[in-house]
Amino acid sequence: MKRIKRTDTQKTLLTAALGAAAACGASAYEVHPLGTNMPPLDFHAFISQGYLKTTDYNYLANDTKNGSFQFTEIGANVSINPFPRTRIAVQGFAFDVGNVGQYDPFLDYALIEYTFSDQIGVRGGRIRRPSGIYNSIQDIDLARTFVLLPQGIYDARWRDWSAGLDGVDLFGSIQMNKAGSLSYEAYAGYVSMADNGGVARYAENGLPPAPVGEFNGIDTAPIFGGQLWWNTPVDGLRLGAAYAYMANWGYNSTIIPPYGPGHIHSVGNVPLQQYSAEYIYKSWTFQAEYYTYDFEGHNYLPAMGDYNIGTTGDNPETWYVAASHRFNHLLEVGTYYTMFKDASAKQNDAALCFRFDLKDWWVFKVEGHYLEGTGLLRDNANNPVQSNNNGWFMLAVKTTFSF
Amino acid sequence: MKSSLLKLGLLCALLGTGSFRALALDGVVIANDSVSVTTLTPAALKDIYTGNTKYWDGGQSIALAYMGDKTDAAIQQASGMDTSAFKTFWQRLAFSGRGQQPKKADDAAALVALVASTKGAIAIVPADAALTGVKTIEIK
Repeated sequence: MKRIKRTDTQKTLLTAALGAAAACGASAYEVHPLGTNMPPLDFHAFISQGYLKTTDYNYLANDTKNGSFQFTEIGANVSINPFPRTRIAVQGFAFDVGNVGQYDPFLDYALIEYTFSDQIGVRGGRIRRPSGIYNSIQDIDLARTFVLLPQGIYDARWRDWSAGLDGVDLFGSIQMNKAGSLSYEAYAGYVSMADNGGVARYAENGLPPAPVGEFNGIDTAPIFGGQLWWNTPVDGLRLGAAYAYMANWGYNSTIIPPYGPGHIHSVGNVPLQQYSAEYIYKSWTFQAEYYTYDFEGHNYLPAMGDYNIGTTGDNPETWYVAASHRFNHLLEVGTYYTMFKDASAKQNDAALCFRFDLKDWWVFKVEGHYLEGTGLLRDNANNPVQSNNNGWFMLAVKTTFSF
Repeated sequence: MKSSLLKLGLLCALLGTGSFRALALDGVVIANDSVSVTTLTPAALKDIYTGNTKYWDGGQSIALAYMGDKTDAAIQQASGMDTSAFKTFWQRLAFSGRGQQPKKADDAAALVALVASTKGAIAIVPADAALTGVKTIEIK
């Protein structure tokens, strides 16, 4: 499944149309197509355009050493409550981060939800996957302080792997009197990844350059998991734990003889864990998270009766601590420090962000990063020389229009 | 000594528990006439403002409405978040398909009119706002 690269004209028209809609329609978000006595349709949309500039490496986008605008997200959603306790919501999405996304529009979520009570509800369809503080809104710029979230957890290129699934989700909140409350979500379904998505590019990055190596596609994988939040008796403090298990996830590649064995099918299970803490006190927000997954893939040769030629894998760990302060309606300042490491590389990142809410419908952010290591570059072709110890800088600027 | 520490721990736990504090709200809670409830506990109001409760008892969806600036303190008291964090919190729910963004009004009169015309709506208005076409909800 190869996607078609959008032309610059198409990008410009798409961007201009949504930008104009956002700027002009700040309050025009509710319509009554079935009459004023019937439930209204609620519309919202946003468009985010970023700019990335780095000193030493090309990171996230293809040519950030010279500055890159390959950092765009566009979304539009509609929801309705057609019957008591029932809600339907749909969101379309398009994005471009380096060589991932490429403005191909897709259905981000399309779900129907029924809430039996505060304690239990169910939603089904294409849903966003809950994990930690930001996973379900990892690409919604206006819903956070920072331009870039800690990339070891919320990789901007990996949203097709981490953001959603097709399946069902049970959710609810349980009061525990003096002990606070528990909020939970438990889900099961399938994850479909794009053959030109971020994970595909990552797997491709591990192959010899074409024409010797070729990436041939990703399997659709079953997944189940959940997110638990304990809203503690201390006002504003919540603690969370998330777990997910992706079974028999795999991908196909080819390394042509005599350089390799030909067609290879790599497949394995992927358990993921994430632990979170968030404390909101007046205009301050403090956050900390830890994330890890463990993929051990077995490499089979289909042409030889699925003969196992060895394993490949990844067991990275990432943590971060963050703090932000809202000074007034205009200005919020945030900072975080994050460390990523796997068996072969690391990447540390200290970030400082200034967020300006210029209007209700217009957010502007400027963010500086000091990084050490290159463990998350994941793009050998654009970075032929890498040092895992030297420090380097990145500037990230982003603006979002929404309604 | 052990007993004193136990009592001190219990006292700290109670002080940190919202359900033992009365809610002094810098404003008046109003709702659309279609809403059947007349009183809410502070905890129930917080559940509404933090998205844990999305429907009234009869199944009608709750439509939150708010205004900035003049009700900042009340939003903080009701939700535990300042207005900016409150807005961001609901944007997270809306853009992940988990909730419906609160509607914003420019001033108290517009907010009262919005609540009056929106089924299931609830809002906090300044205490001196003129209330027409809406019902008030007592917080106790």
